[in-house]
Amino acid sequence: MQVKFRSKALPYLLLLPSIIVSLLFLYYPALKTFVLSLYKTAFMGMRKIFVGGSNFIELFTSIEYLQSILISCFFAVGVVVIGLTLSLFIAVLSNQDIRGGRLYCLGFIWPYALSPAIAGVIWLFMFNPTAGIINYLTDLLWGISPDWVSNKHLALLMVIGAAVWKNLGYNIVFYLAALQNIPQEILEAAEMDGANSLQKFFLITFDFLKPTTLFLVIMNLIYSFFDTFGIIDILTKGGPVNATTTMIYKLYIDAFQNYKTGFAAAQSIILFIMVMGLTIAQFKWSDSKIDYGS
Amino acid sequence: MFDKKGTIVSVVALLVVFAIFTISTASKAWWIFGGDDSQNDKIEISFWHAMGGHNKEVVDTLVEKFNQQHPNIQVSAQYKGSYRETLNATIAATQQGNPPSVIQSFEIGTRQNVDSGIFIPFQDLTKKGEIDWDDFLEPVLNYYKVNGKLYSMPFNSSNAVLYYNKNLFKKAGLDPENPPTTFAEITEASQKLVASGASKAGITWALHSWFYEQWMANLGQNLVNQENGRAGLADQAYLTSKKSIKIIKWWKQLYDQGLWINPGIEAWAQADQNFLSQRAAMLITSTSGVTGLTKSAKDQGFEVGTAPIPIPADETRNGVVIGGASLWIVKNKDSKIEKAAKDFVKWMSSTENQVYWHKSTGYFPIRKSAVESLKAEGWFRENPNYQTAFDQLIETKNVRPTQGALVGRFMELRTIVEKTVEKIINDETSIEDALNQANQDINKSLKEYNKLIK
Repeated sequence: MQVKFRSKALPYLLLLPSIIVSLLFLYYPALKTFVLSLYKTAFMGMRKIFVGGSNFIELFTSIEYLQSILISCFFAVGVVVIGLTLSLFIAVLSNQDIRGGRLYCLGFIWPYALSPAIAGVIWLFMFNPTAGIINYLTDLLWGISPDWVSNKHLALLMVIGAAVWKNLGYNIVFYLAALQNIPQEILEAAEMDGANSLQKFFLITFDFLKPTTLFLVIMNLIYSFFDTFGIIDILTKGGPVNATTTMIYKLYIDAFQNYKTGFAAAQSIILFIMVMGLTIAQFKWSDSKIDYGS
Repeated sequence: MFDKKGTIVSVVALLVVFAIFTISTASKAWWIFGGDDSQNDKIEISFWHAMGGHNKEVVDTLVEKFNQQHPNIQVSAQYKGSYRETLNATIAATQQGNPPSVIQSFEIGTRQNVDSGIFIPFQDLTKKGEIDWDDFLEPVLNYYKVNGKLYSMPFNSSNAVLYYNKNLFKKAGLDPENPPTTFAEITEASQKLVASGASKAGITWALHSWFYEQWMANLGQNLVNQENGRAGLADQAYLTSKKSIKIIKWWKQLYDQGLWINPGIEAWAQADQNFLSQRAAMLITSTSGVTGLTKSAKDQGFEVGTAPIPIPADETRNGVVIGGASLWIVKNKDSKIEKAAKDFVKWMSSTENQVYWHKSTGYFPIRKSAVESLKAEGWFRENPNYQTAFDQLIETKNVRPTQGALVGRFMELRTIVEKTVEKIINDETSIEDALNQANQDINKSLKEYNKLIK
């Protein structure tokens, strides 16, 4: 339905509050970040020298930064693959008609309601090498007590695990909704044609879940690139030896611990371009191809 | 749907909403500013600090006492998180034109605080003879003096000391009254402790650059050039010096032999935990932990002894660098506020308050008279573990290395040192290569900093 405004000014006037808010809190800081990325700064911007693009050159020639990109990508792939597989599996299981099914759903979804800090602290306690429950169990079962915090690979695994667990609820909710929207007639027809449950799942259900999966892939990528600061900060602080320093964590270190605001601004521009790319990809793909005209 | 009348009505409605909003905020502001008149001449100053937990209560008690004794000054203390967070908040607030009056800032921020230009040197606010500087402990004053002027008032001071578990020492056949004092003796004692099954490892300390800095100073090695940054802006670190390599080599050997437990980067609490759970029989940590560790050890059923921080046998002891934080007064257009802030800081450093502060928190008193008064009370006889910490401080030689380095980007230096040590103990690179790389990174950052503040 379209509304026709008689007066020309009114629609603009009605838009004014949101325009002011966006200008003040979105566009102005964004612009400021762009400008800042061309400076070297001290004291959070109290002193600055114009350096042009040299912050960016420095970034892309710094092994540490390139490494953080690599770690971010590995982290993101881990979160997407493990997270989506696990949540699809759980969603399918809890979509079945069993006693107390709803209770299970609730149990799987609640981690999403936790703040990243709380989730981080829970994992920190569980994975504490000396006092954690995980090492108590591994010691009891196999007599080993892995050092989750100071081993590079284990630390990264632990952080990925925490990030996956934190976002599990979100993914499950979307998968559950998608599962419940699959037309039952098709599944029944397939059953009558003699398809077994695996065939039903991979040939029919999975196909119907494609749009949701795509949406979740993008959302999880955005989540793992930009929204995992809290978990990393509490669990590993980016260590050991940068093993869990993702791009967003490096940005934080440079901005708030090393006071290199300009350098950090340049990093946030790179992240900005990445999130823009992901958003465009999401808009494009969610509109085309995988649409069942439901 | 929208006729002319409707348009006018909605525009008017919008304007009314805007008007109400503006009036309400403006009147609120009026109310706040107007409030000052009714309370007449009370000077309000804000104090931002980084003392959490138990220490926060001690600060609050002191502030309350000050407010009672000074009816015309109202200090409001606010806990702002870590030292870094307190400083960040201060810089941000200053940029917005609403700075706090006094802040607590850690020792390694000194260079940066001086260069930021937002603080007024404490000494500039005091008249000649107003404060008896001779009463202050020399090593403490030396740290906070820049270009011969005291910029900030030392508040909570500490240094690093060795704690050891007397019961485990006995178990391993070591003399519990004769703790190791050299690197070699630490290694030897650790080997005995592990071999006898008394403890899982010999020693632990947080993977923190602070201990490395303490060792560098104790061996008489400047951390950076320009006389440790005291004669000018430093632009060259000395991580590749012989003494630096010596320290790191020993550290790595301890780790390789399984004698040192790595609690993680800046993991103070985990280091304490390893010592208290008796997985390690020795611990190097801040002297501010004396009370807490002695008490917790008693609960665990063992007795704690303290000893000076160990050094290599073939080196001479230069002493320790004072750690901790000091109080900085933020520049203010209103000289009345600056003066009130000075009165507050001066009051906090009084003998009586220093004695109270030391007893409640374990941080050093910074006045000789406070130490004397504690001695007279028999405090050190009751708490012999504090004696070690004091002796170590008082025996410190007044040389550049123990005065502490002034470095503009000290926090980055620390991070680099810690990551480098981590790299080295994980065998990723050789000691020399890793230190070389770290040194280059620090030099680059220091040069950049120097350019920025000129």
